Amino acid sequence: MNLDSYLITDEPYYSPTHNEVQLFEAAYVNRMPMMLKGPTGCGKTRFVEYMAWKLKKPLITVSCHEDMTASDLVGRYLLDSEGTIWHDGPLTIAVRQGAICYLDEIVEARQDTSVVIHSLTDDRRILSLEKKNEVVKAHQDFQIIISYNPGYQSVLKDLKESTKQRFGAIDFNYPNPEDEAKIIAHESGIDNKTAAKLVYISERSRNLKGHGLDEGASTRMLIYAAQLMAQGVSLEDACEVALVLPITDDHDIRNALSSAITACA
Amino acid sequence: MVASATRGKYAVQPQSQEPSSPDERLIYLIDKGKTFFPSQYQILWERACSKLAKAGYGALIPLSYARHSPKLVNILNPEAAINLAASVSLAAIKVNRAAAELLPKAAVVAATELKSSHAFSSWIMTIEELVHHAPESSLAVLERTQKIVSTLTPDRFRSWVLAGLRSTSDDTLRQIQYFSFVDPESEKWFLHEAGDVVFTNLERKLKLYLISLWNLMPPVRDLVASTSPLSMRRISITNGVVQVPEVFPGFHDEQAEKIFRAGLAHAGAHLMYSTKKFTLGELKPIQVALVSLLEDARVEYLAMQAFPGLRELWLPFHTAKPSGPKLVPLLLTRLSRALIDLEYRDRDGWVQKGRDMFFDAQNDMTNPTLCRNIGVLLGNDLGQLRAQFNSKTYVVEPPYRDDNMGLWDFGDHQGEDEGDDGIFIEAMRTTQEDIKDDSSSNQDSEDSDDRDEQQYSARESLDSEHRESEVAIRYPEYDFLTGAERPNWTCAVEYFPDFGDAYKIDRILEKHSNLVNRITNLIQSANVSLPERLHHQSVGESLDLDACINAVISRRMGEIPDPRIYSTTERKHRDLSVLVLLDVSNSTNDYVQTADTSILELELQATSLLAYAMSELDDPFAIAAFCSDGKEDVHYYRIKDFESPYDSSARAYLAGLQGKLSTRMGTAMRHATRDLIAQRTHRRLLLVVSDGEPSDIDVEDQQYLVEDARYVTRSISRLGIDTFCVGLDGSGDSYLHKIFGRKNVTVIDRLERLPERLPMLYFRLTA
Ligand SMILES: Nc1ncnc2c1ncn2[C@@H]1O[C@H](COP(=O)(O)OP(=O)(O)OP(=O)(O)O)[C@@H](O)[C@H]1O
Ligand SMILES: [Mg+2]
Repeated sequence: MNLDSYLITDEPYYSPTHNEVQLFEAAYVNRMPMMLKGPTGCGKTRFVEYMAWKLKKPLITVSCHEDMTASDLVGRYLLDSEGTIWHDGPLTIAVRQGAICYLDEIVEARQDTSVVIHSLTDDRRILSLEKKNEVVKAHQDFQIIISYNPGYQSVLKDLKESTKQRFGAIDFNYPNPEDEAKIIAHESGIDNKTAAKLVYISERSRNLKGHGLDEGASTRMLIYAAQLMAQGVSLEDACEVALVLPITDDHDIRNALSSAITACA
Repeated sequence: MVASATRGKYAVQPQSQEPSSPDERLIYLIDKGKTFFPSQYQILWERACSKLAKAGYGALIPLSYARHSPKLVNILNPEAAINLAASVSLAAIKVNRAAAELLPKAAVVAATELKSSHAFSSWIMTIEELVHHAPESSLAVLERTQKIVSTLTPDRFRSWVLAGLRSTSDDTLRQIQYFSFVDPESEKWFLHEAGDVVFTNLERKLKLYLISLWNLMPPVRDLVASTSPLSMRRISITNGVVQVPEVFPGFHDEQAEKIFRAGLAHAGAHLMYSTKKFTLGELKPIQVALVSLLEDARVEYLAMQAFPGLRELWLPFHTAKPSGPKLVPLLLTRLSRALIDLEYRDRDGWVQKGRDMFFDAQNDMTNPTLCRNIGVLLGNDLGQLRAQFNSKTYVVEPPYRDDNMGLWDFGDHQGEDEGDDGIFIEAMRTTQEDIKDDSSSNQDSEDSDDRDEQQYSARESLDSEHRESEVAIRYPEYDFLTGAERPNWTCAVEYFPDFGDAYKIDRILEKHSNLVNRITNLIQSANVSLPERLHHQSVGESLDLDACINAVISRRMGEIPDPRIYSTTERKHRDLSVLVLLDVSNSTNDYVQTADTSILELELQATSLLAYAMSELDDPFAIAAFCSDGKEDVHYYRIKDFESPYDSSARAYLAGLQGKLSTRMGTAMRHATRDLIAQRTHRRLLLVVSDGEPSDIDVEDQQYLVEDARYVTRSISRLGIDTFCVGLDGSGDSYLHKIFGRKNVTVIDRLERLPERLPMLYFRLTA
């Protein structure tokens, strides 16, 4: 199978928030399994795309979910007229051909699914396809990355200790205000000043984290608001649509947030 | 005394053609009044009159009835007029002559306002209720009939009366204070019933607003009551505590919301930027007022730099005009406006000077001494103009601004400066001391009528033997008579539990080792949770892709395929959190013959075993206990929180529980719900263990707290929380069934079996 289509040819726009690019490059030298932590919409996915581009490696992304089985990752036999043929799953493809495999929201997967990566994430670097009776040795370029959002997971839904301890971790957070404004301006096409105002507004919402909000407005939400504004929507309306209404159904919180946004204007 | 005052107020002015002797006058009035009635009612009314006349209540009562009641015929109907006699008679017997004499007149006022006979009869029923339960207060209420009926619907009137009766229980003096509006609670509930926006309605969103703007979380309280009229009450900030008046009179609906928001934003600005207190030094009162005013402008200036939109919030309140007499209070409002309103033009030299000096310092706004400097100069100028400033009558304007008491350091200057121009400062000092006193020593405020201050000073007071945590949270309570919750009615106070002997709990487990074994076995098989997909099943609602492929492969290979080709969903993991709420009221000290120990002891044993089961099952759980000492002091003890381990200190707290006080169950349940709601599990269960009917020292009506608890049960079930009650009172089925619903109660009749039953019940419940 040709992985060319998994190669990222155009440089994704990524503005480093800290030294995560260097850290990641250093980790890649040893193909260290990496875990990206941080709240939703803060740029983890974008970062992985950027690193894959920078390292010139194909990137295979799998979004994990509750119903995902080990076969969905590893592969399964399929039928054709002659008999059966084995079909590699995305993880196996990445392992064989040396891609970066990004398992998004790994905690969503069942524990018996997530353990298939264990043999890949210690010094064996092998993947055993039990049904096929085959052991695949990882290609030298193969690397596994998982994302993990500790915030809204309950205690009951957590990674096994033996899984966690197989990874190095990089902590992501919202970029600092200037960078965040730059990102928003870039992604939406609005001017820097308006973008800066949106970032300032996001702080109103991030202040409410833990006071009725599970998370404040993410960079992604701010970009949505900015995109609406780029279409001529007013600041207050854009914030209402992109920052207030999606985030809570609690009327007091909405009221507080909308009023605080008005105060920023 | 009261009676004569009343008589003065509603004195019957003998009309010229009326005979002067009471007997003759009654005959005259009856003759005249009769004409108002349709003929078939005349005789009934006459009989009512003469019955009152012969009852020995004196001459004035029948006269008043004969004079006023006929007016009800036209407004309402003849029956209302005739039936009124019975109420008058009741008032005469239960209360006094003054009240009975006033009633007919008040009835006419009420009827005129209410217009419908239905509304009138509910008004009169409430009056009768009051006559029965608080006779001493009825006169005060009757005297205020106009105010009451013109503001409140009869239902709301009843609710206000009930609020009074419920909050004062049997205390006649407090009842009188409430019903004559001396107790500030009274006005507050009156306005609440009148549907005015009171602070309580907005508190949560405005607190969130401050968090959102500045991440500020100051304690916010009702304003400590004072004698000053409502219109002069201002927000007050003392040591970081923001006190807010319950209402701003004259501000309704949206306006009310705006002024509270403006006020809290202003308070927030002070908390952010008024970081150092001014020293009083030798300042004159006018200078103190001016420095404060400039400080207000300064902090608002800084706040508006961060949040330009705040200008829109504050500006509309600055309505001063650049004309009119040059009285100091007016000049001050003009200066305030000039400092915030950039469009405002004022030709007055003094105002201009203040404005220029303030804005010249624009680049130095973070420095509060600039306010002091400018304030002192401007004060001197006013002094030279010989302008009069009366510090006693001065209040900060516009009304959203706080009284600025918190800006000043009064500490070292007590006793100095008692010249005659120091009244304002003295006034400030006294208030300051009042507040300090109120919040520190509370020993004698037990019988004080101001419950607000009790609430927030609760920490330093009450049982000296108990340290109290920071948490004192107010909750509504449901009044079944009005069918509504009364906001902020009760207060749950978290106390630190006593430390007992943690080994006691271990010994309990040892003693019940058989039971512990059974529990351990049960634990293996217990299950509750979110659906999980099971593959490779012989029945199921969808095909399992992998199994299907394998089956086809087998067939092609000539083998017998495995028929388990389905997948299905099943609840597998336990995903449940439980809060066990223990009633530790005094009655739990009762001795249980069959077990040779107290109810409390059995509760402890049962809870220890249950806690063992829960921790083995890995179910997140919490344990709390409650008892109550009136609506303002519902004790809540955290034995174990969800996030903390079930370790030796949790066990020691459990072992340290003591039985005392009463059982205000609803409030405790509301408080427990706060913790439970934060749990992210699929199921959440509130398990109440109680030995008796909800009751409290300040509640006579048995049904009241039962109905409240029932209301709580229903409202928490709407939040997706299950409740279950283990009743320890053999005769308790009826009210427990009422509160929790028949299916959600188990009454343990043989109490000695509680330790065994509770954990088993838990398995059943959660299986
Ligand atoms: N540092 C950054 N540089 C460039 N763009 C960024 C950066 N951070 C965030 N973004 C923008 O924010 C958006 C959301 O980021 P992304 O999708 O990577 O979030 P995420 O952390 O993967 O979220 P989730 O956990 O929900 O998957 C991106 O589309 C991108 O436009
Ligand atoms: Mg002020």
